[in-house]
Amino acid sequence: MTLSSAYNIINSAFAVTGAQSATIARNITNASTPGYSREIANVVDNPYGGADVASITREANSALLDQVNSSTSESASQSAIAAGLATLAQTVSDSASSTSPSGATQNGASPSAMLANLQSALSTYEADPSNESVGEAVVSAAGDLTASLNSGAAAVQQVRSQADANMAASVATINSLLNQFTQVNATVVNGLHSGADISSAQDSEDSILTQLSQQVGISTTTNANGSVSIYTDSGVTLFQDIPQTLSFTPSPTLTAGVSGNPVTVDGIPITGASAPMAVQSGALAGLAQLRDTIAPEYQAQLDQISGGLVNAFAETDQTGGTAPALPGLFTFPGATGVPSTTQVTGLSSQIEVNPNVDPSQGGDVDLLQNGGISDPGSATYTYNTTGAAGYTGRIQQMVSAIGATQSFDPSAGLGASDSLSDYANNSVGWLQGQNQQATDAASYQSSVVTQATSALSNATGVNLDTEMTNMLNIENSYTTSAKLLTTVNDMFSALMNAA
Amino acid sequence: MTISSVSTQYLGTVMLPAVTQAQSQLTTLEVESSTGQYADLGLQLGSQSGYELSLKNEYDQMQTLTTDNAIATTNLSTAQAALDSIRSGAQSALTSLTAMTAVSDDASTLQTLGSTSLQALIGSTNTASGQQYVFGGINSSAAPLTSYFSTPPSSAQTAVDQAFQTTFGFPPSSPLASSITTTALQSFLDGPFAAQFSGANWSSNWSSASSTNTTAEIAPGETITTSSNANQPGFQQLAQAYTMLNEFGGSALSQSAQQVLVTTAASLVTQGVSSMTTTEAEVGASLGQVTQANAAMSSQMTILQTQVGNLDDVDANSVATQLNTLTTQIETAYQITAKLQELSLAQYLPT
Repeated sequence: MTLSSAYNIINSAFAVTGAQSATIARNITNASTPGYSREIANVVDNPYGGADVASITREANSALLDQVNSSTSESASQSAIAAGLATLAQTVSDSASSTSPSGATQNGASPSAMLANLQSALSTYEADPSNESVGEAVVSAAGDLTASLNSGAAAVQQVRSQADANMAASVATINSLLNQFTQVNATVVNGLHSGADISSAQDSEDSILTQLSQQVGISTTTNANGSVSIYTDSGVTLFQDIPQTLSFTPSPTLTAGVSGNPVTVDGIPITGASAPMAVQSGALAGLAQLRDTIAPEYQAQLDQISGGLVNAFAETDQTGGTAPALPGLFTFPGATGVPSTTQVTGLSSQIEVNPNVDPSQGGDVDLLQNGGISDPGSATYTYNTTGAAGYTGRIQQMVSAIGATQSFDPSAGLGASDSLSDYANNSVGWLQGQNQQATDAASYQSSVVTQATSALSNATGVNLDTEMTNMLNIENSYTTSAKLLTTVNDMFSALMNAA
Repeated sequence: MTISSVSTQYLGTVMLPAVTQAQSQLTTLEVESSTGQYADLGLQLGSQSGYELSLKNEYDQMQTLTTDNAIATTNLSTAQAALDSIRSGAQSALTSLTAMTAVSDDASTLQTLGSTSLQALIGSTNTASGQQYVFGGINSSAAPLTSYFSTPPSSAQTAVDQAFQTTFGFPPSSPLASSITTTALQSFLDGPFAAQFSGANWSSNWSSASSTNTTAEIAPGETITTSSNANQPGFQQLAQAYTMLNEFGGSALSQSAQQVLVTTAASLVTQGVSSMTTTEAEVGASLGQVTQANAAMSSQMTILQTQVGNLDDVDANSVATQLNTLTTQIETAYQITAKLQELSLAQYLPT
């Protein structure tokens, strides 16, 4: 060992403190950058007794990152479902009144509440059948009921169309993110070969993956050359050296019974019932479930209620003949008979009060009491054959038809046989139940994301105090090195002077 | 990094989710404390919403029925009052007739009794409650009994005179009436004359009421008759007795024949009073059913209201407590955030 080698060692110390200071500066600068991973300058001793910064590593934690990504996907899918269901639930929600606890809540405008109003109006009409204004109240209650069904169907259609549009936006986002990922991934692979600093590129990679998992559930593998491959949670390849393109054709309108297009990768559908490898989570999966399963099921229930109404109020042959039953108070454009439970697709957006009985459309309210709404003037469908003003037989039939058991299509998810009023109640219960579950799940998943993000941030993020402490260490080290340098210099000077 | 490591970013935002959540909960609680009900009933009840709605619908239906029962009550009470007046009229007519049995020469008194009583009967039977004739059956829009006294003579009067003419060969006003034997008069009164007050003759000449009574649902699943009709035997018997007196009371009948007339009329009025009592009892029973139904529904409504309240209403005490707790929680969160901001090594280093 010589004094000049001491020079060299001190020199390497300056180089190391410089590099360390740079790392700390970068850490402090990015202390508040979301997704930034703390960087560490790895110092090793060199064969000449000094020290070198061998590499800069990121404080990465792929297990925690995976957890953040998967919980983000779950949360995004539940949020999408909850948002759609909240829109639908608004059409059936009670509105709280300020008169509680009397229990006098407003029953909202659900088909169920409107059906109960109609039943009440019919009861009043039954008690006072010769009063035409009471009959008009029945017709107007019937109008409210059809309006409630129509607006329910419109809400379903709007939710489905909105989900379809959001799916298109989600597909566009995914494609753009995959393209960004291609560039960043190439930087990482090249950087690993050339030994360049790839930390910020890796940060970008993590950030893109987290954004991607908002849209679709993903899993990743890292190849030997450092390139990352991305798969959907169902195993479809999204990125492997080159990005796959997701294709989707949006449908501007989605009427009842019309299903939207699936999202495909390389021609293989990844959403929808027929998809062999359907995505399980992410906004895309939630939106697809909303568009293809939940909203259509509610639509089917509304259609069943509408079909049940047309059937319950249908008029039959009163002459003992075999004329077919015809729609009475409730009908739909172009009706030639009453529909069976499987022929009602889309009926809820078409159902209307029969114009023959609606005074605002030139109809005759008395037909409610006397029958013959379907075919005014025809003896076949006239119930009140004597024309008595106090005849209530037909009104009683209508009141009891609301509570009478009839059959429904079980594929709507509410059983095959029930009374109309119970079926309508159950439909509200079904919708609010789904809404509650989705909202609970969304709020739970969102707190899981918060926790996972905190854990990741704690594991890989920057603590300013730590950096500050390290800075003080480096400062001391620098001061000592400088002192050493002065001392060595003094020694040299002493040597020179001695000579 | 060690297990206990905390990132500065996390430290800066650690209270944020808690504050946001507490604030959103605070708005919910404010709504709940002002309305006394859950802020979002659908979200709170979930799949129970259908059940809650069915309770409320049931409640509303009972309320409607209770309101509507007022109509039935009015109709039935009106009918009862009219029946009451018909019955008391018949009873006083009977008293007069019994008194007159002994008196022989008061023919015009008999006729007057008959005409006033008949008019009163028709008047009471045509009682209307609102737009509805209470004795019309389901044909409630038309007056049940057609007026007897009119010009030209009503079809009922014409038919009665015609029957007399056919049987005896002269009109009731003819002096020849004195020749009618008691047997002949009795068989006329029981035969051709009585036939005017039943079957097709009754419905074509006298009554436009329907024999079908109106019915109404007074409680869920409970339907009762809410009217009576003028085709009940009581109305026919009284009309028969009064017409008899009115038409033939003034005829020049022999004393014994007049006796037959009075006796027959008295017997018919007696039957009529008894029939009217039966009809009145039926109406009274319906009225009682309405009252009972209203009472039963009222107690059911209280139960339904309680059940709906159990589902919808929040506990006011617990809301108030939660509000306090939340306010404290938010204040604490603010304090902690402020303290955390001060906790930085940089603040303690010499500058």
